Amino acid sequence: MSLGPHLLLALLEGTVGALTLALTALGLSLVFGVMRIVNVAHGEFFMLGAVVTWYVSTTTGSYLLALLAAPLIAGAGAVLADRLVLRRIGYDPESTIVATIGLLYILQQAVLTTYGPYARPVAPPIYFRVGFPWFGYSGYKLVVAGVAALLLATTWLALGRTRLGLYMRATQQDREIAQAFAVPVNRVYTVAFGVGSALAAVAGALVVPIQQAHYLMGLDALLLSFVVVILGGLGSLRGTLVAALLVGLSDGVVSVLFSPTLAKIVATLMVALVLAIRGRGLFGEAAA
Amino acid sequence: MTKGSRTGVLALHVAALALLAGAQFLLPAFHHGMLARIMVLAAYAVGYNVLLGYTGLMSLGHAMFFAAGMYGTGLTIHHLGFGVGAGFVTGAVSGLAAAALVGLITLRTTGPAFLIVTLMLAQAFYLATLYFNTLTGGDQGFILTGLRVDLAGLRLPLTQPAVKYNVALAVFAACLLASLWITRSPVGRVLAAVRENEERTRLLGYDTARYRLLAILVSGLLSGVAGSAYTLLFSYVGSTFAGILYSIYPLLWTLLGGAGTVLGPLVGTLLMTYIVDIASDFTTGYLFVVGAALVVMILWAPAGIVGGIRARWVAWLP
Amino acid sequence: MTPLLETRGLSKRFGGLEAVSSVDLRLDPGEVRALIGPNGAGKTTLVGLISGRLRPTAGEVRFGGRDITRLRPWERVALGIGYTFQVTSVYRKLSVHDNVAVAAQRGQLRTARDWIALDREAVAADVAATLARVGLAGRSSQRAGTLAYGHQRILEMAMVLALGPELLILDEPTQGLAGDEIEALCRLVRDMAGTATILLIEHNMAVVHDLASRVTVMDQGRIIAEGTPREIEANPEVQRVYLGG
Repeated sequence: MSLGPHLLLALLEGTVGALTLALTALGLSLVFGVMRIVNVAHGEFFMLGAVVTWYVSTTTGSYLLALLAAPLIAGAGAVLADRLVLRRIGYDPESTIVATIGLLYILQQAVLTTYGPYARPVAPPIYFRVGFPWFGYSGYKLVVAGVAALLLATTWLALGRTRLGLYMRATQQDREIAQAFAVPVNRVYTVAFGVGSALAAVAGALVVPIQQAHYLMGLDALLLSFVVVILGGLGSLRGTLVAALLVGLSDGVVSVLFSPTLAKIVATLMVALVLAIRGRGLFGEAAA
Repeated sequence: MTKGSRTGVLALHVAALALLAGAQFLLPAFHHGMLARIMVLAAYAVGYNVLLGYTGLMSLGHAMFFAAGMYGTGLTIHHLGFGVGAGFVTGAVSGLAAAALVGLITLRTTGPAFLIVTLMLAQAFYLATLYFNTLTGGDQGFILTGLRVDLAGLRLPLTQPAVKYNVALAVFAACLLASLWITRSPVGRVLAAVRENEERTRLLGYDTARYRLLAILVSGLLSGVAGSAYTLLFSYVGSTFAGILYSIYPLLWTLLGGAGTVLGPLVGTLLMTYIVDIASDFTTGYLFVVGAALVVMILWAPAGIVGGIRARWVAWLP
Repeated sequence: MTPLLETRGLSKRFGGLEAVSSVDLRLDPGEVRALIGPNGAGKTTLVGLISGRLRPTAGEVRFGGRDITRLRPWERVALGIGYTFQVTSVYRKLSVHDNVAVAAQRGQLRTARDWIALDREAVAADVAATLARVGLAGRSSQRAGTLAYGHQRILEMAMVLALGPELLILDEPTQGLAGDEIEALCRLVRDMAGTATILLIEHNMAVVHDLASRVTVMDQGRIIAEGTPREIEANPEVQRVYLGG
């Protein structure tokens, strides 16, 4: 294939990746923004979504059921983690990081023990090929892109138009004032954590027919989400979307044209430098 | 602190080292090897604790320093024919250099931002070791052979259990005593001040950024020394040691033993290494205990074992 | 006589707000100056500019005749400026002794050799003397966080005293203190005035009368009056703006 079509393929791959990344990163950003904590286990909910999808779709034969079950189960797990652990440590930033690292290993290894170390495929619910003049492209991937975009739009609307969304935005702005206005902040936190994790799980569920479900797939999702949220700005929806598109596209393009490893190296270095320079404002620390 | 209690503190730590030294004559072969490995890893944890416990900076990227030591030593011995001594020094310097890089990048970064930057930098380093796998052997790594130390006319192969044990002990002892000295020194007091209240410390006349940089350098150096020792004693270099798990291990060991205590890292490494080892006999998902330990600790024993002992009974423990 | 501290046209702008507006302040050695004014007048900002915590948008700060505008906070401390925070800032988890030791050792650490072979005895003696001077000698091994608030305030003074400063900036030292705690603090400040020049931000006019030889009044970022406590109390402008006259 000559460069032009190769680039088009890369862009298509990038777009699909970018939209699912946006979904995952949105979950992380929501948690960052509303709760001011870093959920290091976020990628594991993505993985959980993929694995649950495999279980449900293989046992019931219905992918759609799986797509519904994945976020519900992941969300439930997240709510449990919030109630049992995070609330008890008062959402202290550093303790939360340690606790969520613990959660990461708990989830990851539990899956390893039950699901096993192998990558398993899930059949896509729809199979068709879109015929470009130079190559055929998986129709399912385009569907994924569409569904992801739809979910992103729905989340945006929910945050902007519903009362829950209002509560979340208020808590994000100023927790104490929100409390003074009788916003049930603790409950908002639990919901935010649940929704954030569920978004990651949906992304995992959408992606698994393309990628296969594997117990280690959470790490890449986590790192890329970090990259997106940091570049896009803490808790900023718009920023997250823009950054996800940028990162997803460049990751996709560099992966196809050069190597996936190189793409990751570039992404991680980029964010390290950005954060080192801009980091203070991002995490709400006072400038000295 | 009175002169009397200062000698007491030193005596306690020397006694701990003596205990480790004596244990080699009593331990069966398996535990002998385990303890050698634990001492090197505990040296790593001691290095990590200089940054976490003393200075209050949590890093998720220390595997980069450990692995820098490992690769610095391993690559020069394997590809350039360096001797053990030269290799060791190169490893230590590599750890220091990596720390200098990270330290300069993170000069104005603290808290969660610091955590993520160190995580990202270490991850980039790990990926680089995979990318340049013709040199590094990537995930598979490579083996070093014929490593030995020539001492007093004797040829001591590093693979021989007694040699391995005592070299590991020596490395650990050096790191432990260095960290003890730092805690008790004026520098240690400033680091504690920076940890407790950075702004107040600046307004007492200290350029706190410089002290944080110093802490990172010392931490990186000790970690690099540990990584270098690991390669020399276990004859292996591989990407695994640059991965995230090896950044999380020292955090776990230090927290479990007690961050901000001198003996804590040893206790934590000892306990956790055995727990992980035992768990690995039961299930493939043995790292589950790592996760469980972290959660249990953060909920119920955030001061760790030695930290708890210090708080309850022995207030003078450093 | 060269003023100990001088600001010339010192200004600080935050976005659209000019918090400090072209302030010319002069402190002579040995003075005890009170800085008063309504909330938001710019007192803490001004003092932040003098201590180095904030960078000015315009103007300069001179200490002992030397231009220190470009110096960072820790460099100014080394020159002899000490600062206590509006909200007491000590090392809560360290002992009273160690709190003061952090400050006391600063003066001793000049060469690289000092770092390795610090004269611990000298530092300990320094700490003991300082604690005795402020009346906290009996609490040397107590954890600072367990002290009563009034004692924590005094501890912070001790820390700054141990630096041996020429200029002491005290940001609302009596805030949060009751009756006899205020009296104890005033006694300490009077004692400190013997060896240092003092600039204190205060709202408590009784304390101002008790301690200050001169008063500077600020409002909306500017100095609106200066004089003895009596003079400024009688000043109609000051009454209107601040004293509720």
